[in-house]
Amino acid sequence: MAGQGEPAPPVILAAKRISKAFGEVPVLFSIDFDIRPGEVHAIIGENGAGKSTLIKILSGLEQPSSGHVELDGQPIELPPDGQAGKLGIVVIHQELNLAEHLTVADSIFLGRELKQGPFLKLRQMRDEAARILDTLHVHIDPEARISTLSVADKQMVEIAKAISRDARILIMDEPTAVLSAAETKTFFEQVDRLKAKGVAIIFISHKLDEVMRLADRVTVLRDGQLIATVGTEALTPDSIAQMMVGRELSNLYPPKHEADVDADTVLAVRNLSAPGVRDVSFALRRGEILGFAGLIGSGRTAVAEAIVGLSPIESGEILHEGKPVRFSDVSQSVAAGIAYMTKDRKGKGLLLSANLKDNLTLLTLKRHYKGPFLDDKSETEALERAVRRFDIRARDPAVKVGQLSGGNQQKLMLGKMMEAEPEIIIIDEPTRGIDVGTKQQIYHIIAALASEGKSIIVISSEMQEVIGMAHRVVVMREGRIAGVLEGAEIAEAEIMRYAAGLKQGGANERLSA
Amino acid sequence: MSVSAHDRAKTRKGLAGFKFDLKTAGPLVALIVLCAIGFALNPAFASEGNIANILTRSAFIGIIAVGATFVITAGGIDLSVGSMAAFIAGMMILVMNAAVDTMGVSVWTVLLGCGCSVILGLGAGFINGFLTTKGKIEAFIVTLGTMGIYRSLITYFANGGTLSLDSSAREVYRPVYYESFLRIPIPVWVFIFVAIVGWVLMNRTAFGRYCMAIGSNEAVARYSAIKVDRIKTITYVLQGLCVSLATIIYVPRLGSASSATGVLWELEAIAAVIIGGTVLKGGFGRIGGTVVGALILTAIGNILNLTDIISNYLNGAVQGVIIVVAVYLQRGSFQRRRKAE
Amino acid sequence: MTLKRLTGALLVASALTTGVASAQDESVTIGVSIPAATHGWTGGLNWHAQEAEKRIEEAYPNIDIVLVTADSPGDQASDIEDLISVQQIDALVVLPFESDPLVEPVRQAKEAGAFITVVDRGLPDTTIQDVYVAGNNTELGAVSAEYFKSRLDEGDNIVILRGIPTVIDTERFDAFMAGIEGSGINVLDNEFANWNRDDGFEVMQDFLSRFPDIDGVWAQDDDIAMGVVEAVRQAGREDEMFIVGGAGMKDVIRGIMEGDELIPVDVLYPPAMIATAMDVTVANYTSNGPVRGEYILGAPLVTPENAEQFYFPDSPF
Repeated sequence: MAGQGEPAPPVILAAKRISKAFGEVPVLFSIDFDIRPGEVHAIIGENGAGKSTLIKILSGLEQPSSGHVELDGQPIELPPDGQAGKLGIVVIHQELNLAEHLTVADSIFLGRELKQGPFLKLRQMRDEAARILDTLHVHIDPEARISTLSVADKQMVEIAKAISRDARILIMDEPTAVLSAAETKTFFEQVDRLKAKGVAIIFISHKLDEVMRLADRVTVLRDGQLIATVGTEALTPDSIAQMMVGRELSNLYPPKHEADVDADTVLAVRNLSAPGVRDVSFALRRGEILGFAGLIGSGRTAVAEAIVGLSPIESGEILHEGKPVRFSDVSQSVAAGIAYMTKDRKGKGLLLSANLKDNLTLLTLKRHYKGPFLDDKSETEALERAVRRFDIRARDPAVKVGQLSGGNQQKLMLGKMMEAEPEIIIIDEPTRGIDVGTKQQIYHIIAALASEGKSIIVISSEMQEVIGMAHRVVVMREGRIAGVLEGAEIAEAEIMRYAAGLKQGGANERLSA
Repeated sequence: MSVSAHDRAKTRKGLAGFKFDLKTAGPLVALIVLCAIGFALNPAFASEGNIANILTRSAFIGIIAVGATFVITAGGIDLSVGSMAAFIAGMMILVMNAAVDTMGVSVWTVLLGCGCSVILGLGAGFINGFLTTKGKIEAFIVTLGTMGIYRSLITYFANGGTLSLDSSAREVYRPVYYESFLRIPIPVWVFIFVAIVGWVLMNRTAFGRYCMAIGSNEAVARYSAIKVDRIKTITYVLQGLCVSLATIIYVPRLGSASSATGVLWELEAIAAVIIGGTVLKGGFGRIGGTVVGALILTAIGNILNLTDIISNYLNGAVQGVIIVVAVYLQRGSFQRRRKAE
Repeated sequence: MTLKRLTGALLVASALTTGVASAQDESVTIGVSIPAATHGWTGGLNWHAQEAEKRIEEAYPNIDIVLVTADSPGDQASDIEDLISVQQIDALVVLPFESDPLVEPVRQAKEAGAFITVVDRGLPDTTIQDVYVAGNNTELGAVSAEYFKSRLDEGDNIVILRGIPTVIDTERFDAFMAGIEGSGINVLDNEFANWNRDDGFEVMQDFLSRFPDIDGVWAQDDDIAMGVVEAVRQAGREDEMFIVGGAGMKDVIRGIMEGDELIPVDVLYPPAMIATAMDVTVANYTSNGPVRGEYILGAPLVTPENAEQFYFPDSPF
């Protein structure tokens, strides 16, 4: 590897033959890993492959069962509880750990406030925060409350926080999972900048194109084993995916069955206005997969929430099977056979502290009555069915849902929604933050549902997903429909043109049917 | 290979079962230890009369605490229960006294008082629930407000003094507190009944599941087609009903109500709920634990009265220590530490 | 029986000149600050204060009485400040929630020129007050002890239910214990019952299961005594013992008039003392006699013979 041109700088952080077991369950087997200053090293693998455990060990949150960590060539026992930050190792978690009510400046200096005696030097912290944000070329007011920021800006605040701590090693767990395409681009620029400054960056991602774009080296884990550490130039997205799953991923997306143009319209939305939605009209046909594309905040989720009664409708009408409907809460829309699966599985989708069964049946609990009481047996059977149908993998059905991997949570949420046996299904970000193997499973499930005659709306920020799945694509921009694409029009560049506001109309005119 | 995996699964299941047991049994263990100490300090503790006293006394707090379990599980809090009990008791006495004047004394007089109690309890609970859900005011503030309102209403109606039930009506009503059925005092039967109904509601109906869902994450509940406002309101109505039942068995005990009635019952009820293993911030509720929690609280007071080895001035300290220890046992922080070692 | 024991009437002359001279033609505002009705005794206090207000204002058109009630010492301090600044009071009658925290607020009233009457709970600095009217906790304990000695013999057993751990309770308890010393009466135990019926009931239940032989119960408060009675009835041990409370609750007084065996006597600690204090204060403006000094009300034993004179059927207490 080294030897060409200038010599590579010495390894800054390394894991030597690290193994880890929780109780009797082994999670990592003798992993070697290293990173140099100015390098971006990606760790990839399916959910449950051991990625998170590895970065926890590298940041001191977990201690290895055997093997050791070396910092600057010296064996070291990293202090627990995130104290590794003092050694220059900073972690940005997937769930951003920012206190919503603090200001940006407060957050950046949290835990290491500048003080004059017992008093905070507020002005100095504010100026310093502004300076750091400036070097990142982001325009965030240091006095703004975290709760008022977009997810991308929050991510930037986390990065600013890391930089202000003179991070030498920055560890990021799926940093772009919540970012839109444009935000991701800004983020990439920041990574390049940090890299140029000599910061070592370790990141976990499920997005292979992103890995190809950013990483110098890639380490692939599967089932706790180190499969390979390879320079990115020697890889293709396909070869990475293959290493991850250990099998041929012939086709991520199932073949699209031909859309039936003459199928009935099961759901028609006419001139709908609601919070974040302006004058939206579209129609959904039986057996169709209708994609919703657009930037984050373009109003796709708002449309879905207005339809199912989660937010109030200001004007316009919704026709279900030709009849006007207006739902005031989810129980009514579910009863009518329309189900919505949220993109926020931890905040709105699942009870993380409850078990699988309680989550699965929450939406349809009334079906599990035997006389006046709930029937535990019927609920357990439902769970067994869902586990088989959606391939939900849990060590133990009594385990809390919060301990499942993202992919299994997603499949459980899908199972929960399907318990209601809906005819119209709205799925918001079906594969956010899950591995490629599970993604493939979910795509096939969605396609199968459509061919059974269910009508499906897929909202996604992953353009490939919409392109790969949908018969037609609605592109939204600033709360309005920018265009509707069909057939050959469904292509990345075209969608982007509508999403960015460069083009209007398209198939929109053909909607009046 | 398959054998070892099987064994591993077995031990894990065994371990999990053990941990689960210890956690649920925590309050029960605390109660048993407390009873053993009580008996050791004074054998009179275990006399039938004393046991009956403890059970009867815990009935008030226990019944109210069963209602509080639902409110707390659904993420709410009700501080008004003590004042509400005093207010309802006062109203019952006024209504029964008025009834004695117009229609004389009979069982119907008492039933009228009880009916009035139930209506007031349901109404007061509904007000708390409505203001919290539709008024969008924090439960803490709503019930702090109603707590003050009911407390001063009873003071007002009693003219600052004590409302006493007409002595002839009292004779009819008295057995409700003092009589026994199958050697178990009637208030204890009411307590058992309320506890069983509460347990079934919490563990065997959608309502209980919904309370837990709302308490652990209101957004998830709303996205799961649960009528959050309605369920939350029902928990307060249920709490009001429990307060009215407790009052119905309380009034015949002394036949009076004053502004000193039910003082701090709200805190005792909340303490019983938390000792029993329900989580104060909501999401998880245990009726059985609440019953044990109420018994623990009453037993502490009883044991302190049965012995003079502890200075009177330190009674509060002893109670405080026992409550904290009971919750510590049940939260199992010590188990986690052991696991780490 | 000496209801008023005038221990000091020193500044007679000045009282006459400052007080009476201005009273006849000018209007006088008297502020009365007492604790809110939170239990039986304070309920009685409030009732008697209101009754006295009506009666005095009717009798003397030029006298205006402003009655305020407080929920805490801090509340009462604010009340007194308002009385001085807003109501411009000429005299203050105050029953302090607690003695120490109210010294300064009352001193301010004094400095603003008000005539000060302190009731029941004395201030540690006695130079502030012009008049002090109080019940006698020590005497309540001593009178009760005398009665127990008269009813019981050497070796008889009693239990004591105390109030809330405060000076009032300690004075009563210490005087009682001193009173029965040497009599051979055996005190089995004492527990706090917080001047509350429910607590009285529960503590007595526990005493009953603990002690097989009890000859007398000193509850030193009528609310507690009412709870004790129920517990004793429940156990069916009415014939074994008698109960003595304290204060003078109307239900208890009526029982004594009717010859109740269980509570045969009561010891007076009347909430009506607030009316005495208000009358004395008014006298400062209306009477030509000397007023300043200390008025310690007796704690007489209420027996079937004299009970009628202590019976106020309209009072809530």
